[in-house]
Amino acid sequence: MAMDELTREFLIESQEGLDRMERCLTELEERPKDANLIGEIFRAVHTIKGTTGFLGFTRLEKLAHAGENLLGLLREGKLTADRPIITGLLELLDGLRSILKSIEALDNEGAGEDAQLIGRLEVLQEPQQAKASAQSQVSVPALAIAAPTGKPRSRAKSSASARILPPPAISAPPPPAANAAEPAAAPAPPPFSEPEQVTVPPKSSASSTGTAVESTLRVDVTLLNRMMNLVGELVLTRNQVLQATAGDSNMTLLSRRLDMVTADLRESVMKARMQPVSNIFSKMPRIVRDLSQSLGRKVRLQLVGQETELDKSLLEAIKDPLTHAVRNSLDHGIEPPEVRAAAGKDPEGILQLRASHEGSHVVIEVSDDGAGIAVDKVRLKAIERGLITPERAAQLAERELLQLVFLPGFSTAAAVTNVSGRGVGMDVVRTNVEKIGGKVEIDSRTGKGTTLRLRIPLTLAIIPALIVRTVEQSFALPQGALSELVHIPPERAAKAIEWIEGAPLYRLRGKLLPLVFLDRLLMPGIQHRATTDRDNFIAVLNADGRQFGLVVDGLADPEEIVVKPLSMVLKSIGLYSGATVLGNADLALILDPGAIALRAGVTMNADDEAKHAEEGEIDTDQSANLEYLLVEMAGRQAAVPLKDVLRIEQVPFSRIEYIGYRPVLNFEGQLLPIEDAGGILTAAQGDPLNADSNLVVVVCREGNRQVGIAVSHVLDVAAGSDLFEAGSSQRAGGVTLLKQRVTGVVDLGGVEPLPVVETAAEEWVEAVR
Amino acid sequence: MSQMRSEGSRRKQAKATLVEMCSVRLGEGMFAVPISHILEIVGSARPQPVPLAPSFVGGLVHYRGDVLTTVSMRYLLGMPPREGPQDILVLESAGGCFGLLVDSVCEVLTVSSEDYEPNPSILDERRRALFAGAYKLKDKLLVMLDPERLDPMRLGAAQAA
Repeated sequence: MAMDELTREFLIESQEGLDRMERCLTELEERPKDANLIGEIFRAVHTIKGTTGFLGFTRLEKLAHAGENLLGLLREGKLTADRPIITGLLELLDGLRSILKSIEALDNEGAGEDAQLIGRLEVLQEPQQAKASAQSQVSVPALAIAAPTGKPRSRAKSSASARILPPPAISAPPPPAANAAEPAAAPAPPPFSEPEQVTVPPKSSASSTGTAVESTLRVDVTLLNRMMNLVGELVLTRNQVLQATAGDSNMTLLSRRLDMVTADLRESVMKARMQPVSNIFSKMPRIVRDLSQSLGRKVRLQLVGQETELDKSLLEAIKDPLTHAVRNSLDHGIEPPEVRAAAGKDPEGILQLRASHEGSHVVIEVSDDGAGIAVDKVRLKAIERGLITPERAAQLAERELLQLVFLPGFSTAAAVTNVSGRGVGMDVVRTNVEKIGGKVEIDSRTGKGTTLRLRIPLTLAIIPALIVRTVEQSFALPQGALSELVHIPPERAAKAIEWIEGAPLYRLRGKLLPLVFLDRLLMPGIQHRATTDRDNFIAVLNADGRQFGLVVDGLADPEEIVVKPLSMVLKSIGLYSGATVLGNADLALILDPGAIALRAGVTMNADDEAKHAEEGEIDTDQSANLEYLLVEMAGRQAAVPLKDVLRIEQVPFSRIEYIGYRPVLNFEGQLLPIEDAGGILTAAQGDPLNADSNLVVVVCREGNRQVGIAVSHVLDVAAGSDLFEAGSSQRAGGVTLLKQRVTGVVDLGGVEPLPVVETAAEEWVEAVR
Repeated sequence: MSQMRSEGSRRKQAKATLVEMCSVRLGEGMFAVPISHILEIVGSARPQPVPLAPSFVGGLVHYRGDVLTTVSMRYLLGMPPREGPQDILVLESAGGCFGLLVDSVCEVLTVSSEDYEPNPSILDERRRALFAGAYKLKDKLLVMLDPERLDPMRLGAAQAA
């Protein structure tokens, strides 16, 4: 539609101003005396008023005018920004916005009537003045009530600010009538105010925002989108050029330069599309304020990591899910103040929005310290709704059960809301986030709170991927899911890949990793080459908390791939998230690790959790026992449980003394028996050269005594895992699996105690001599 | 010149309309698609197979920066797959673009609506679903293919049902 450049410019500028105003208003509620905030709000409204007169939008002008009067009084300190005033200003904001919207859509202001709102704004200018003059007599305590919330923190602040307030309160009565009637005077310093008040609205923040504006330029998003697509094509072409010229030394320099420029260009275009999450976070204080008022909740909103940047289109896409999550937290998460107080919590709930980078993702967390989700009720509901069988539900870990709230159909009934306290439209949240390649998960503890985690890719278009080969074809594996690669040559395959009833497993650092053969998965029913006839590459993948190894025939280079969408027919296969054109102009399908895990039946580490829980019941020490200090004793490796290690000492061999045949160390007056299982001391005894060299002693706690273990070197700290006797499945004693090697554990209990003092004191003294 | 050859033009009548058809060869058979439905013809392509895809899918090809799903006409006709490169008609249908894999693309013929006959009743059901009637040429029949009926989405839905 035709709209002149000036009006368009005005709309954009006004909207930005109003966005700023909204942010400031919610902050103003916290700090009603902040002159910077009032100044900022005043400027936003004043700019609108000034420009509208010029453009001839009279309705807008009138409304802005009324607001400006009120703000003028606030700025001069004649009014305090109490709750009714802030509510009034928020109404003003909504009113201005709706007129702007109408101008944008219809090119006119619309026929609405603002007399009521203007009347309310005028009323707001008066009663407080009466109140304020009354307060000037009552003084400080009454002012504390004017602060928005009765939190102890803000009370301290308001009493501090009260010291500033009295002068305006005293001078308030004379000017109000004149000021309200003569709005144009508002921006100028009013004649009656004292000089120190004129200095209160600082101009410093205005100048700092002003400089940022000069160096920026507004660019149409569609242009940026087109640039992004073109850069995507350029990346493809670059990949092809690089591969085609790989052998040509004349081209090396040129192609390397092309490579660099393309990478830089890509990054710049991507950066141009980046916006800080504060753009959507800033909408939240208002939503939280309105909702907590209407729901009767006390909520403190914390925004963390606002500077985290995300692609604009992604930012747009998560706006709704995020709003939904915030609503959910307020509605069902955070309890009413009295319930919280009864539960021994701070009546004021905390809602935190946190954005952070995690690899190639941005993680946005919405966490509350509310009631949490009752897992049992989720389970019951899911079974009742036929979303899951009772048998399956019994197998699921708590965390997996929680994810059921994302299932469509789980959340439709209001009954669920009452029961579980969460889940309204969660499937919509998930669908929206997954549409942009993101992931949603939920964590909750009954009584402690709930955390909803959105994992959003930094960008949609280009992702780093590892190209793998199987069944004579290339596939792309997103690097984000890849944690490591293991190569198993054919001769080792028979031993390294173990089977339980047809289920292939690999021992990755002692832990059994379920394997999925990509060829078998993609081409079922065909005779595949045996693992012993070919190289096996295991790509260890992590998808939605599921860990598994994907076995492929070969690896090619990692590449930055441009994701191309697939047609519906191919998308519905469920294993591919897209396709891409490789450097060699081949097409490759992009594998979806999460879908592969699901298809192959790899579950979320439910078994692990169950196992841990079980062990925890039997022996609480067991989990702490998992870490070992790996040491070398005369060429042989041994393990010492890390929890027993007190310290590691280096002592010269000459300091080792003997009680009979038993080596001891006189350590600050205490005698430490030395265990020489590796025969290091025995070997050193015969060699006089060793007298000056050092011995490493690992000092350990054993029961209520200390023992030292003589070792050659300390190698590492590693997690060990239990070994089980074949057949009997009994835990083997004295050994552990450390770094893929069966390692003996030093038996601390087996170290002979030193002779007891009463019976052997003399013998001991003699022996030392 | 193909106009001259066409039987339709010789017996042209006032109300008969002329349609341009792109003829394609599959084994011994001749088929045709109205050229108004064809976006582009891609010669000697080697589509990349897609494991686990429905069997009518002939694979993927790179087409103007996008990835195009192709439909194997040979499979639909119950013919054995063919080694070597194939030609692709890039077709537009309601569900978006897709490629139709054929043995080779032949000339463009102009036919008259006069020579059109709907599918014969003795045709088996599977073929009847694919064909959109035939044009009687001087020496042979030109079987019409309807891009809408060959759309992979529709074929997928039909297969699922």
